[in-house]
Amino acid sequence: MANTLRLYLTCIRNTLEAAMCLQNFPCQEVERHNKPEVELKTSPELLLNPVLICRNEAEKCLVETSINSIRISLKVKQADELENILAKKFLRFLSMRAEAFQVLRRKPVQGYDISFLITNYHCEDMHKHKLIDFIVQFMEVSKGLVNEQLTARVSLDMFVVSEMFILRASM
Amino acid sequence: MILLQSPSRFLLQILKDRIVSGDKGVDIDCHTVEFDDVRYHVQFSMRNPKVMVLSVALPLAPPEAILYDGLPLGAIDAIKAAYGAVVQILDPPKDCFDLTMKINLTKLPTDEEQRNVVLTQIASVREVVLGAPLKLLLRHLASKTVAPNVDKLVALVHRPNESFFLAPQADKVTVVYPMRFQDSIDIVLATSFLQEFVEARRTAALNNAPSCMWSPVPPLELKGVNADALDANAGFVTFVVFPRHVEGRKLDKTVWSLLTFHAYVSYHVKCSEGFMHTRMRRRVESLIQALDRAKSDAEKLKKLVHGGSFRRLSMKHEGNSNH
Repeated sequence: MANTLRLYLTCIRNTLEAAMCLQNFPCQEVERHNKPEVELKTSPELLLNPVLICRNEAEKCLVETSINSIRISLKVKQADELENILAKKFLRFLSMRAEAFQVLRRKPVQGYDISFLITNYHCEDMHKHKLIDFIVQFMEVSKGLVNEQLTARVSLDMFVVSEMFILRASM
Repeated sequence: MILLQSPSRFLLQILKDRIVSGDKGVDIDCHTVEFDDVRYHVQFSMRNPKVMVLSVALPLAPPEAILYDGLPLGAIDAIKAAYGAVVQILDPPKDCFDLTMKINLTKLPTDEEQRNVVLTQIASVREVVLGAPLKLLLRHLASKTVAPNVDKLVALVHRPNESFFLAPQADKVTVVYPMRFQDSIDIVLATSFLQEFVEARRTAALNNAPSCMWSPVPPLELKGVNADALDANAGFVTFVVFPRHVEGRKLDKTVWSLLTFHAYVSYHVKCSEGFMHTRMRRRVESLIQALDRAKSDAEKLKKLVHGGSFRRLSMKHEGNSNH
């Protein structure tokens, strides 16, 4: 299990390393504008083929690349309703703090849970490999911690609390 | 606080303050709500500062729960038995309230410890009134009989327009709660919480506890109850109470636990939501730190150099003006 996760993350890391070669590129339609081409999608010659990395049906990662920006969309695994709520809450929590994250897109791409938009400006003032580290770490956190640790903690708390209740009745 | 306390802190505080403050009374007229269902109205007047008028509004009863003069079965007797001469019930109660009591503070016992016991009991008026029918049934269980003139299935109100059900038998009482929650997140959390309840019951240390079951569909005991009372979105919880759970002093504890089961569950659902929030906050902080690490040192260096050159420039400037 852990092994397939590592493979999945390594694959994403390699893809990002290859895809993240961005350069400054002014808009072709409007003078003095500089927009992320991956969002506009007006000129097909500036876009590259999107890459879809799937671990299984519930977990996938879409990497869309263009000349001056790259968009990474993630879908997080949600096994049951409790995990669904935890993941939804956590991702909403993050989206609301997108300002602090800079590379986070406020709204995820349709069909995904969370999206990042990295432009050439981000690449200029941040180390590229550390930026990739951040994204992989983010995936680990939102996957491993939301789904396993947090659920386990919540259930454990509930367990203790219910034990207390029943204990009182039996005393 | 993992378990809910039975006396209302608010009432207890008001009563204690009044006793400490002595004769120089001020007008008090305030309302409060407990657990989102029971309303209290407290009044003190200047003329007789030692008399408190306490009105209690019970949750609105659904059609299947039977009330006598707006109060649960046996409530009046329970009040008389619990408070004695200190409390006088006013009939009819105030508008919009189900019970109005006049509490005469001069009749309290003079011994401080005894007085505190009585005050605590007055503050637990909710347990006395709403728990009266439950106590009646469980007391019969303790003596292994069935209360006379009681149906096979008794509905008791515990939340506005919601009731829980008791099926009294000579050797056991089955208590069934249809659990309802408003928020969709609350529903999911409560459902998994209730399943944990069943899990927790299975541990060896709790063999003496009442057995506990959870099911998404109404259990067999509730056959024949009208459909409105049975639409529960978080399933049904069943406790089976045996005579050994209601012996002697355990009775009060069991009554209170059963009475506030819903409040207890929803309180802990809110707590786990709060807990989730704290964890998420911490997680976000660590992620932001990871992103900060990605920012290149070159940029930080540039800023430093820039600041340094500014300082040097201003020093030169100062030097020039001095000369």
